[in-house]
Amino acid sequence: MFDPLNLQVFANHTRAAAENMAYTLQRTAHSAFVKETEDFTVMLINRKGETFGVPMGLGATWYPGLTYTRAIAMIDDYKPGDVAFTNDPYSCFVATHAPDTHLWKPVFYDGEIIAWTGGHIHNTDMGGAVPASLSRALTEIHQEGIRFPPMKLVNEGVFDEDILKIMTTNVRKPDLNIGDMKALVGALNTGERKILAMVEKFGRQAFLEGTEVLLDHAEAQARDLLSAMPDGTWEFVDYADEDSVEANPCRLKLTLTIRGDEAILDFTGSDPQLGSSLNVPSGGDPRHTMLLVGVYYVLYTLNPKILLNTGLTRPFTCITPKGSVLNPIAPAAVGMRSLTCARLRSVIFGAFCQAVPEKLPAAPAGNNCIVNVMTTDERNGRTVIAAVNPVVGGGGGMPHRDGTNGSGADAAYLKNTPIEITETEVPIEFVKYGLAKDSGGAGRWRGGLATEMAFRVFSPGSRITARNRDRSFFRPWGTLGGRAAGLSDMVLNPGRDDFQRLGNIDTTILQPGDVLEIRSAGGGGRGNPIERETWRVAQDVARGYVSSEAAERDYGVVIRDGMVDEAETEKIRTARSAPTGHFHYGPEREGYETQWTPEAYDLLTDLLQGLPIHWRFFTKTEIFRRMKGRVGAEGVAAAFADVRARFTNMPSPAEARKEAAE
Amino acid sequence: MDSAAAPGKATSDQQDWKIGVDIGGTFIDFCALETRSGRVASLKVLTTPDDPGAELMTGLSLLAEREGLEPAAVSRFVHGTTVGINTVIQRRGVSLALMTNAGFEDVIELARLRMPDVYSLFCSRPDQLIARDMIFGIPARLRADGSEIEAPDLEAVAAAVAKAKANGAAGIIVSFLHSWRTDIHEVAVKQEIGRIAPELFVFTSSEVWPVIREYERTTTAILNGYVHPRVAGYLTALEEKLLSRGVTAPALLTKSNGGVMNADEGKRSCVQMLLSGTASGVTGAAWLARRAGEKHILTLDIGGTSADFALIIDGEPQFGTGELVGEFPLHIPSVSVSSIGVGGGSIASVDAQGVLRVGPESAGSTPGPACYGRGGEQATVTDAMAVCGWLGHSQMAYGQLQIDVGLARAAVTRLAEKIGRSAEEAAQAIIDIAISEMFVEVEKLASRAGVDLREFTLMPFGGGGPMLGAFLAREFHMAKVIGAPRPGVVSALGGLVADLRGDFIRTVFTHLSDEAAPQMREALDALALEGRNWLAKQGHAGAATLNVSADMRYVGQSFEIEVPIQPAWIAESKLGAIEEAFHAMHARLYDFHDPDGAIEIVNLRLSAIGAGPALEIPVNAREDGEAAIPEREIPVFTGKSFEWIGLYRRDRLRPGSRFAGPAVVAQEDTTFAIPSGAHVEVDRQLNLHLTFSE
Repeated sequence: MFDPLNLQVFANHTRAAAENMAYTLQRTAHSAFVKETEDFTVMLINRKGETFGVPMGLGATWYPGLTYTRAIAMIDDYKPGDVAFTNDPYSCFVATHAPDTHLWKPVFYDGEIIAWTGGHIHNTDMGGAVPASLSRALTEIHQEGIRFPPMKLVNEGVFDEDILKIMTTNVRKPDLNIGDMKALVGALNTGERKILAMVEKFGRQAFLEGTEVLLDHAEAQARDLLSAMPDGTWEFVDYADEDSVEANPCRLKLTLTIRGDEAILDFTGSDPQLGSSLNVPSGGDPRHTMLLVGVYYVLYTLNPKILLNTGLTRPFTCITPKGSVLNPIAPAAVGMRSLTCARLRSVIFGAFCQAVPEKLPAAPAGNNCIVNVMTTDERNGRTVIAAVNPVVGGGGGMPHRDGTNGSGADAAYLKNTPIEITETEVPIEFVKYGLAKDSGGAGRWRGGLATEMAFRVFSPGSRITARNRDRSFFRPWGTLGGRAAGLSDMVLNPGRDDFQRLGNIDTTILQPGDVLEIRSAGGGGRGNPIERETWRVAQDVARGYVSSEAAERDYGVVIRDGMVDEAETEKIRTARSAPTGHFHYGPEREGYETQWTPEAYDLLTDLLQGLPIHWRFFTKTEIFRRMKGRVGAEGVAAAFADVRARFTNMPSPAEARKEAAE
Repeated sequence: MDSAAAPGKATSDQQDWKIGVDIGGTFIDFCALETRSGRVASLKVLTTPDDPGAELMTGLSLLAEREGLEPAAVSRFVHGTTVGINTVIQRRGVSLALMTNAGFEDVIELARLRMPDVYSLFCSRPDQLIARDMIFGIPARLRADGSEIEAPDLEAVAAAVAKAKANGAAGIIVSFLHSWRTDIHEVAVKQEIGRIAPELFVFTSSEVWPVIREYERTTTAILNGYVHPRVAGYLTALEEKLLSRGVTAPALLTKSNGGVMNADEGKRSCVQMLLSGTASGVTGAAWLARRAGEKHILTLDIGGTSADFALIIDGEPQFGTGELVGEFPLHIPSVSVSSIGVGGGSIASVDAQGVLRVGPESAGSTPGPACYGRGGEQATVTDAMAVCGWLGHSQMAYGQLQIDVGLARAAVTRLAEKIGRSAEEAAQAIIDIAISEMFVEVEKLASRAGVDLREFTLMPFGGGGPMLGAFLAREFHMAKVIGAPRPGVVSALGGLVADLRGDFIRTVFTHLSDEAAPQMREALDALALEGRNWLAKQGHAGAATLNVSADMRYVGQSFEIEVPIQPAWIAESKLGAIEEAFHAMHARLYDFHDPDGAIEIVNLRLSAIGAGPALEIPVNAREDGEAAIPEREIPVFTGKSFEWIGLYRRDRLRPGSRFAGPAVVAQEDTTFAIPSGAHVEVDRQLNLHLTFSE
């Protein structure tokens, strides 16, 4: 019998086991992705395949609510010492893009499986069309590398050499992959040992019950948080700047309904699956961990003592229409789903911050841009490939504090590399690495500032990739009177005559002497900026966080010679009317939505929904091409009529719907 | 007072006292040894936070009164001060300005980006010790190879100095990119500041710690400047007080690296002492362990608000960088200590879902646990121990604390009622939870270090370590627990016995190849010279030990491992030996190595060590194993029910005494809780050795 008095003790031993696995993996892994970027997870899994423990100090933040149930079931006849694996996003919706390779191992006690240990590593490369296997431009899963459906990687302690050979043949850095997979197997073995020690300490029955009680406890904590929120329905929409090379926005829509201690997250109204790799393969699982990452952040922020495990997903039900960007069908590409996941988190934050406005911050920057350089070292002619710093933005203004500058919120797991190290190893020269003035959304509590980084190259044809760039058009929003934040940007040769703004593209080629400046978005502001204390505004100006022009324009604070002109400030502030509306999105989105009204999107969603899945993204693109000068639902209807006229063999929505019904 | 040998007071010309002093949150601890008689005296005095240093004088007076200490007979006075770390924690340092390269002014704000609480949307960094309006970007730039792109703009320096002074700066930190390679920019700017504003003190990052990685180097220099005036003022006053008291021995200070330095050094290199408190505890434990013949030790120091852990491997403390001072990482070599916010004062509570938890809130030392009778009402870990009967049989902290079991019971009962349990059940659960919290941290520590704790002996110290230590050792199936005679003053003992130790670093950042050999030789020669000069400045005349190590990695990795190397390998260009040492260390720590992988050597390090006093504390002749006789039987709740168990007085236990757990050993500075299954034997140095039968 499990004594509830022991719950915290059991939770601590679970956590210790998970931390131990994480250290084992980090210590023994080979690739920079695992060792330094910490793009890995490890977890303890109960008999049913549900995660009951994760580390808190190391690794990525996405999978505490992952369930391996489907993956486990796809293999028969586990024996002690077996380890199974998959990286196929479509086999069982455990892996979510090809580089992420998940492993799981049964833990036997007295001849029965009493638990599992599991985890994932991000392999540097899985083969496919491009190095690292990731590019937004890819259009089908087959371009994104070799895929292994669930199968045994290790049989009773012995690696399957055939599988290793197949992998070696197909990927670009086989030693790294195999080294990392062996390190992960080592971590799973550590977890197995720790689980058996727990069985010894608590007893078999109490252990089995304990793994359930932890889930029940997390569930109870999550339900208590939901109960404390008012019942109601809240809608929120956010956009990724570009859905593909077509460069139309990708829209995500969430309708959040809270009833008592449960919540429904309905993503109907989100874009159809895309002809790019931005799709998020959830398989329609109503509690898929990728869909709920934003929820983990919300719950943990509201109660930092919450246990992170599958239990906290139980009160939530996600609805993701089949064939949509959040539930694509094969062979849609999925490699760059992390960009979409950032927007997915924003729509969740946006919906919840309407339910509990007093408790949550404004939007974080939400563009976790990873920059890589490939250039030639002129001293020795060698090609150098290196990751430079991530360029990330600040957190949103908090209920009682400014947003964190240059990182924070859902980007806090990222690390940078010292300038001195990069300049010693990579033949580039940094011009700037710091915070961007006026990039944080104005508010009673200012949004965190963006990061800006600029560097010079010295060799012809230097290739830069800046993955996950977003928020160059749709700003991180402000709340409760707070203003939207500054946009991200990428500029070639700033301040020179030949300067060029590069928009939202994520790759570029530089020539000798060229300087590339990359800036992230900032965090949104929270609360009316007029209510910000004048001394804080003056301090922001003194610190160079806010210009004196912006102080006057956004905060109504007049600074002369570094001092607040109280009389003038008072006059300006009294004359300002209070902002209205829960959100401030900025002029770009407001302008966009005068054309693309909610009604326009409702109609678009309805029309596309009526088409076969392989027609939807095509049709969306064709409608967007014909929206010039058109507005609202009428505009969409007219554009759609044009599209139908042009593509006469397009199935009619009504017929397609009828077919689907049959 | 206690002593290992027969007490006998002596006159000043017969006396030779060596004194270690450690300041904690509540008490200042003294550990004093009179070397001629081998008499060891320890005591605790309440701290006087408003008048730091006054408690030192009180302690000296008490030693004079009780032990007949003659100030003139003090030949060694080692002091661990918390003035530096408290200055950081309480944010009471001076106003500073920072000059750095234009375009990189946010170096300390951005830090290394990653934050500890990655799941919280509220995660944030502490307010920096230098706000952005006191950070001045100076046009200046070096390349990574040390060549110059742009010389420092001295007009910009002058403008920055004027603004810094107008804003009230007392000192300036100068930190420029690539000063690990050459300090020419930092020196030029420092000279210019000295010329135009001689009243400002200036520290350059390369003089404080010339290591590659700009954030780490800059923040370390800032910590040094931030505490400098306060620490220097304190040390000057201390020297005067000691002199006026007739103590002529130079004051030595304990360092974060577990060694000591003289006061002059301490006034400049303030950053070296910031973590000395935890470090000297480990030094003391290592010394005790060596004497007791133990090689691998896990130390456990439990105070009111936290528990500190450290590994001693093969008798040596482990070093790390990036240990936290308050909220800021410190990048000089420090004795590696892990900490968790669970201690004797941690408060137990019941959460909204009815689950019993312990911490992170703490009753600290004021009001302290309910059973201290100082107004605390919430149940703490110490109260739980009192309710179960482990505590409350003697005075604590050399008579400065009384345990009121009734108050403990009342507090725990209030909590127990909320969950419908008996007070004892709740108390046992509180103890179990506190131990499981420590279990998590110790697991992490062992896992990072790649060690098997079953090969380790636990040495608990501090006021609370002996209370919980043996229970924690059982969780890890550790073979043994060793209880020092005076666990309350191990940190003070650490100062008493510590070596002079200065650390030096040169970043070389080069592939390990024959071409790099001259550069490495040059760096090593410079380090050796620096080390020898340092020891000479400390007044050290005896033999010097120069330990050399190299921070290395495979090309492509981004963190290094420190590998001890022989100076001769560099002097004689035996690069193969260096490679082998690296491969072997990599294999030990990470379970694999790459014999064909190219190796980079990032830093060369040198520690200059002047041996501390060779102390002869006499040991008792072994008395044959005799069963110790408990003073009386007391009722203790040992998990499921009350048992009558033996209460032993530490000062009556003689070498060779044996007894079995469960038992309680009460002494002046702490209480040992000894679980069932433990066999206890007292050695000739009066250590308790606990072994367990499964």
